[in-house]
Amino acid sequence: MVSIEIDAFTRVEGNGGAEVIIENGEVKDVKVKIFEGPRFFELLTLGRYYWDVPDLEARICAICYLSHSVASVLGIERAFGVKVSKEIELLRELGLLGELLESNALHLYLLVAPDLFGYPDAIRMASKHGEIVKEGLAIKAFGNYIREIIGGREIHGINIKPGGFGRYPTVEELERMERQSEALLRLARRGVGIFAGQETLGAKPVHYVVVNGYLYGDKLIASDKDTFDYFERIEEEALSYSFAKQSRYKGEIFMVGALPRVLLKSEMLTPTAKHLYEEYKEKLAQGYVSLNNLAQAIELVYALERTKEITRELLDKGINGENVPIEPQEGEGIGYVEAPRGVLIHHYKINEDGNIAYSNIITPTAFNHAIMELSLYEEAKRRYGTSDESAFLQKLEETVRAFDPCISCSVHVVRL
Amino acid sequence: MMLKLGVFELTDCGGCALNLLFLYERLFDLLEFYEIKEFHMASSFKEHDTLDVALVTGTVSTQRDLNLLHYARNHSKYLIALGTCATHGDVQASVEGKIREKLEKVYGTKANPMRALDSTPIVQHVAVDYALPGCPYDKDEIYQILMNLAKGVEPPTKDYPVCIECKLNEYECVLIKRGIPCLGPITLGGCNAVCIKSKVGCIGCRGPLPKEANPASEFEILKELGYDEEYIRRKFKTFARGELRW
Repeated sequence: MVSIEIDAFTRVEGNGGAEVIIENGEVKDVKVKIFEGPRFFELLTLGRYYWDVPDLEARICAICYLSHSVASVLGIERAFGVKVSKEIELLRELGLLGELLESNALHLYLLVAPDLFGYPDAIRMASKHGEIVKEGLAIKAFGNYIREIIGGREIHGINIKPGGFGRYPTVEELERMERQSEALLRLARRGVGIFAGQETLGAKPVHYVVVNGYLYGDKLIASDKDTFDYFERIEEEALSYSFAKQSRYKGEIFMVGALPRVLLKSEMLTPTAKHLYEEYKEKLAQGYVSLNNLAQAIELVYALERTKEITRELLDKGINGENVPIEPQEGEGIGYVEAPRGVLIHHYKINEDGNIAYSNIITPTAFNHAIMELSLYEEAKRRYGTSDESAFLQKLEETVRAFDPCISCSVHVVRL
Repeated sequence: MMLKLGVFELTDCGGCALNLLFLYERLFDLLEFYEIKEFHMASSFKEHDTLDVALVTGTVSTQRDLNLLHYARNHSKYLIALGTCATHGDVQASVEGKIREKLEKVYGTKANPMRALDSTPIVQHVAVDYALPGCPYDKDEIYQILMNLAKGVEPPTKDYPVCIECKLNEYECVLIKRGIPCLGPITLGGCNAVCIKSKVGCIGCRGPLPKEANPASEFEILKELGYDEEYIRRKFKTFARGELRW
């Protein structure tokens, strides 16, 4: 038995690697090893006053801090039975759209594009394909602008609070968002063409799991569209070789993320995004996990169009800027959010003093851990012996990259 | 002469490495002076070489982190501890209990095959040439530091509290006027009072002000506002557990 090690995945967030086990000249198994250290976020939040918790949870991940803030706030509000206004709901969605723009653009243009053009990174790619890198950076910077206004800061903002916001956006800020989302749409449409050209890699998941709204909701759905809570159909298990756990949907491997979203929720897409979805529908339906990249590109179009819709609606109605008052009481609540990488869950029980008594967080990369391993296994089987080792490893890295894995998040994902 | 730069990420949220990419076009300005030899979040390129500057983010939370930190220190002339994880330990270092107990609570076993350690800031393990806190740090600050180093100038260190920047922005004092717990008076400035801009209190993410801070007085103010001691104790320790000067 021999094994080929990928010491550390590059151009992914966080620290992880893989071991490809070869027996009698055939690929026998692949293990995805998440060796980023554990950060024990559930333990960190235990006993904490609910008001301070979203700010702490934001620090689980920098790329999708706002998804964590919103999931945390939703879990807390549901535990207290708080219902917020349409305005607050729209502003939260706007923040999540900003995060989708920032994160998908970062992944596609800075981390994936170098594979398509044959460079080790976007910086070295920029000398020949500077326009593409710049277009990606422009979309990413716009997403970050939204995160800064809605979330309070580009990374780890503190503006998203239970019951509303610290500070509400001004008319000028909303107008700027409306204007820029319109201007960037052309670039995002071009991006869809670029990322549609990627070859298909990895496995085809048996199931997809998504949140019932496009970016957040109150239940999960799978292909049959029945709503359910995560603990009814999803189970987690710990592994000896990884700090991240693995999950199964009704005992089987599943996937979360952009591909599941566009496939299961295509009817919610905005006009141009829907049109692009129709154009690539057959390709997407092949189901290979690498098509997640194409789905992310279509989502950039969706996010820009939806940002324009929301900012217009808010500008027409005018910002009221009122938070819902909160009275802490004993309760239990779950926040379901579509982080850019897929389903994110924050589940809390809160005591009558408003302190966290139970906390469970499951992140998308933990959900995708099993399908990631299966994808590497299938890709390795397909390619082993057909190319030299560096080309072989390159394709395995590309396969992992398609998940846009967020390793930092995945390691403190645990049930108490 | 181009300077050789390495970015090393230990255990953290990824934000401190990501923040460098958020410099956008100014990143390209830096690349007029620096050649990136190691930056695994952004590049598949890696060259084992002696570095002029190593940026190290995150806490030491595994044996692997510790090995990587020693590698970075032994291969660089100038090492910057970047972000509050690296300088003070940040939120993960404030989780109380011993590593085996924590592993048992979370993974259901005391076994530690991946060699996890209790999270500690990197300044506790190696000598650093510069420590830039912030969760995340202010990206203008790292830009300035790297530019200074490229020009042979020792970067200045900030030594004033968040309150100074709050006053300069003419924000209303949330602590005195609205009774919101705000750590601004005892927290190192440099964030441009970003939390108070959002009308919430400073959460202390840049760690304690090194010199004239008066945590005892802050403690009394918060107690008078009706916050209990346990709440205040936790708030003080959230980002800077290893720091005794609160």
